Amino acid sequence: MIRRLVFGLPALFAVVVLAAFVNALLVTSSPKNEMSVGMLGEPATLNPIKSADSAGGTVQGAIFNGLLKYDANLEIAPDLAEKFSLSQTTTIFFRDENSALTGLLKLEAARAGWEAWKLKSARLDGDSLVLTLSEPGMEKSREIFALFSGADVVPLGVARVESDSPADRPFARIEAAAGGGRIVRVWRESSRAFEITAIGGANAARYAAEAFLAGTEGAKVAATSEIPFLAEPVVDFVLRRDVRWHDGAPFTSADAAFTFRALMDEAVASPRKPDFDMVLRVETPGPHKFRVIYRKPYSPALASWMIPVLPAHILDGKPQEWWVQNFDRRPVGTGPFKCDEWKTNEYVRVVRNPDFFEAPAPWLDGIVYRVLPDQLALRLAFETRQVDFWGVDPWAVSSFEKDPRFDLFSMPGNSYTYVGWNLRRPPFDDHRVREALAHAVNVPEMVKFILYGHGVQSTGIFTPQMWFFDPAVRPIPYDKDRARELLAEAGWKPGPDGILAKDGQRFSFTLITNNGNEIRRDIATLVQDDLRQIGIEVKIETYEWAVLLKNYVNKGDFDAMVLGWALGPDYDQYQIWHSSQNNPEQLNVVSYNNPEADRLLDEIRAEYNRDTIISLAGRLQSLIYADQPYLFLYVPQSTSVVWKDSFRIRRKKDGAWIDTPVEMTKAGWSYYSDFFYRPQFADRLPEKSN
Amino acid sequence: MFAFVIRRLGIAAVLLFVISLVSFFMFTLAPGSPYPWGELNPKISPQVKEAFRKKFHLDRPVWEQYALNMRDLFTGRLKSIKDERPVLERIGERLPATVILNIYAISLSMIFGLLWGVWAARRAGTPADTVSSVAALGLIALPGFWVAYLVLIGLVKYAGVPVLGTQSYGVEFPNLLSAMLDRVWHIVLPGTILALGGIAVESRYIRATVLEALKENYIRTARAKGLPEEDVFYKHALRNAIRPLITGIGSLLPALVGGSLIIETIFAYPGMGRLGYEAVLERDYPTLLAINFIVAALILLGNLLADVLYAVVDPRVRLE
Repeated sequence: MIRRLVFGLPALFAVVVLAAFVNALLVTSSPKNEMSVGMLGEPATLNPIKSADSAGGTVQGAIFNGLLKYDANLEIAPDLAEKFSLSQTTTIFFRDENSALTGLLKLEAARAGWEAWKLKSARLDGDSLVLTLSEPGMEKSREIFALFSGADVVPLGVARVESDSPADRPFARIEAAAGGGRIVRVWRESSRAFEITAIGGANAARYAAEAFLAGTEGAKVAATSEIPFLAEPVVDFVLRRDVRWHDGAPFTSADAAFTFRALMDEAVASPRKPDFDMVLRVETPGPHKFRVIYRKPYSPALASWMIPVLPAHILDGKPQEWWVQNFDRRPVGTGPFKCDEWKTNEYVRVVRNPDFFEAPAPWLDGIVYRVLPDQLALRLAFETRQVDFWGVDPWAVSSFEKDPRFDLFSMPGNSYTYVGWNLRRPPFDDHRVREALAHAVNVPEMVKFILYGHGVQSTGIFTPQMWFFDPAVRPIPYDKDRARELLAEAGWKPGPDGILAKDGQRFSFTLITNNGNEIRRDIATLVQDDLRQIGIEVKIETYEWAVLLKNYVNKGDFDAMVLGWALGPDYDQYQIWHSSQNNPEQLNVVSYNNPEADRLLDEIRAEYNRDTIISLAGRLQSLIYADQPYLFLYVPQSTSVVWKDSFRIRRKKDGAWIDTPVEMTKAGWSYYSDFFYRPQFADRLPEKSN
Repeated sequence: MFAFVIRRLGIAAVLLFVISLVSFFMFTLAPGSPYPWGELNPKISPQVKEAFRKKFHLDRPVWEQYALNMRDLFTGRLKSIKDERPVLERIGERLPATVILNIYAISLSMIFGLLWGVWAARRAGTPADTVSSVAALGLIALPGFWVAYLVLIGLVKYAGVPVLGTQSYGVEFPNLLSAMLDRVWHIVLPGTILALGGIAVESRYIRATVLEALKENYIRTARAKGLPEEDVFYKHALRNAIRPLITGIGSLLPALVGGSLIIETIFAYPGMGRLGYEAVLERDYPTLLAINFIVAALILLGNLLADVLYAVVDPRVRLE
């Protein structure tokens, strides 16, 4: 018996394996009118307001739409909104009704200036003057404000109230008091934080708040400030009428309003909430009209309406557990594709939505997002045409470039790599030293050897793809002699061991980065080598990512570090560069402090005018680049390799359908992926409409 | 025997508690946080961080977090920080794939280990035996990821299809048999690579125990009474030699649910290894706690089972 088992079982095994192998050779894959995308990571959720990973963002892009989107040039364009317009309500408070009337008359007398001020209308509301401007921002309102003599105008005070525990009752009392009397505006940030604006300056706001908080334990006025007038930007969206959810329900402004409520809901704890913190309130003047009113001019907030809109008719009133069980993994959107199936750790499949508002598009039957966590497996899947494209590493680009079977699409990424100097510590607090270091490191060589030439030298905080990037900022050239000169100027002379020294102090520092990132390790090595040539000793330490952040970066306890930023096309970089953001756990870890930069950072986020933003961004970029708080290294080129003739594009342009090959845009080669079709299925495309 | 089992179960419960407590503290002491948005993100405000910590009880002291998590684990409400789904559901999704893969790998290593061991034992001392010893050691020393890459690249080169996931991509199967065989094929490759080391270890083990048994007095008796050598070997020596193998089945219990990170990652196989690894990277404490708890419980149970089985198979052993 045992003998039979010893020999019989292996034989049985061998037969089954052989059959499976033969079967694997026999079955053939038939081409499908489907796009196959390989992803290293799996989405955590498909609920866009809870999502923070890029895999999730990719899949959600096919299922959902935002009110706005980026166009092919990375500029803001309408999506679910048909159009949108910006304006601003500026409210100036006077001592009494008479002085307000005098103010209005003064303004009427200055009608010649209205055009330049972008002033559309002005009216009286009790003792206040309400102005409507056609462009948000502080500048024009300040010009108008300057008309009225200071004595007649009453300043406003803003008090921020914080509570240790949820304080709904006192907060509700304040809200009830808003509008009448001294309190002109309230804004509830959360169940524990509140902001009230009152007539009469900072102290008036403090007293008003404290009156309502009386007897509430743990609640206090955390901060007060004074503002001259209320400046409240307004965004008016007109929504498309031809949009339906995947379940057939019509899309209305109630969905947009619900999405906003869900974002602010503490039970959701959305990572996207900070984008909406400047919103005072939203209104739905009609089923296809949606209005957003902001607390103060903050132009980057406009882009936040690219957030996918959630279906109110499905989610409103449902508990979080219901969302998790019924929506987060099988969402309903308005996009070109419907969510079909998510097999954990294997794939997410979306299928064509025949009722898409750009119907008869999309042309593909579906998209499969395959989770292939291993780099080599992903590459093999690409090479066997199991996935249609692949983000190729710099070192492998040349082998694909020569191959006629592939198309390569390449563009500068939205990221840059840098060496950050700790400006709290000498010698990095000396500008001459930082400039010398910039001259001493051979960045072009770094691009050549680390990126195989697939990158450009970085010239500051913005990357070349962004519309406000200033190409006039020139990179600091590699020049060892100039570096030595600058160091000598700063008092650094070669010491007995060949290392520069000043006041008996050797120029020696530690460069840190995270281990496991070979590129950053190589950068550190090249920096070490370049600096040794001019007499600076660099020690390299690498730490596990979490340790690096916790023990060194977040505490500001380091000399220099190699890191990178991957940023959206956003000109507001307040969190990284403003001098107020240099506390532990904040992002100005190098402790950059330049009052001029602070002013520009404050100004640019309150500015709505495109030309002014470009000029402010240019000044900011050249200022920070000249200061060299970072040694800005390079912007890597990101390259996708696609099987030739995988796709063509049929999209609507000026009302007519046009047919083009896949082309590169500023937003990437796959920008028009909603309108991709496979050439071999061209004769089976749905009829062109219009 | 009954009293023995009860006593051992009691000890196991205490041990389990200690293991889960220590491991939970170790996880939470490690630097890093479960924030889904990464550590350096200019878009995240302190208020959002706080709301997130509150939502998942991360603002409480560690012992309180442990107590809350354990309570939820036992009531089945323990939720992952990653996607807020019940942890047991997430484990349940991956468990079948892992169990099937492991059953294949374990039976493969036992069956072929047995075959090889018997083959080597019959040729003990010959040059063939020496060669097989070296080969076995070589197999044990082979790194799994290297073999996996070679197999995958070789397949793509000669057959033109990689083996990824649990099913061939983009294929319309002509019939159910073909679809099933395809699934088997997707288990065969990762499973065989997983089993390679096991086959070699098992073969050495069988060879040694069989050779040991062949020296016993009852073998001499059997030979003396004129039994054919085949019968002596298979019916007497081998049967006694594989007894420890049967009792060892108990200790295989945890191996059934434990996944292999590397093989699963390379073959994109949806199993427990990737779940555990992702949970570590994401600092998904509830998922880690649950996986740890289940595996620890199975190890303790497996040990107990091994002891009991031993007593059942070998009448000389009494449990007290």
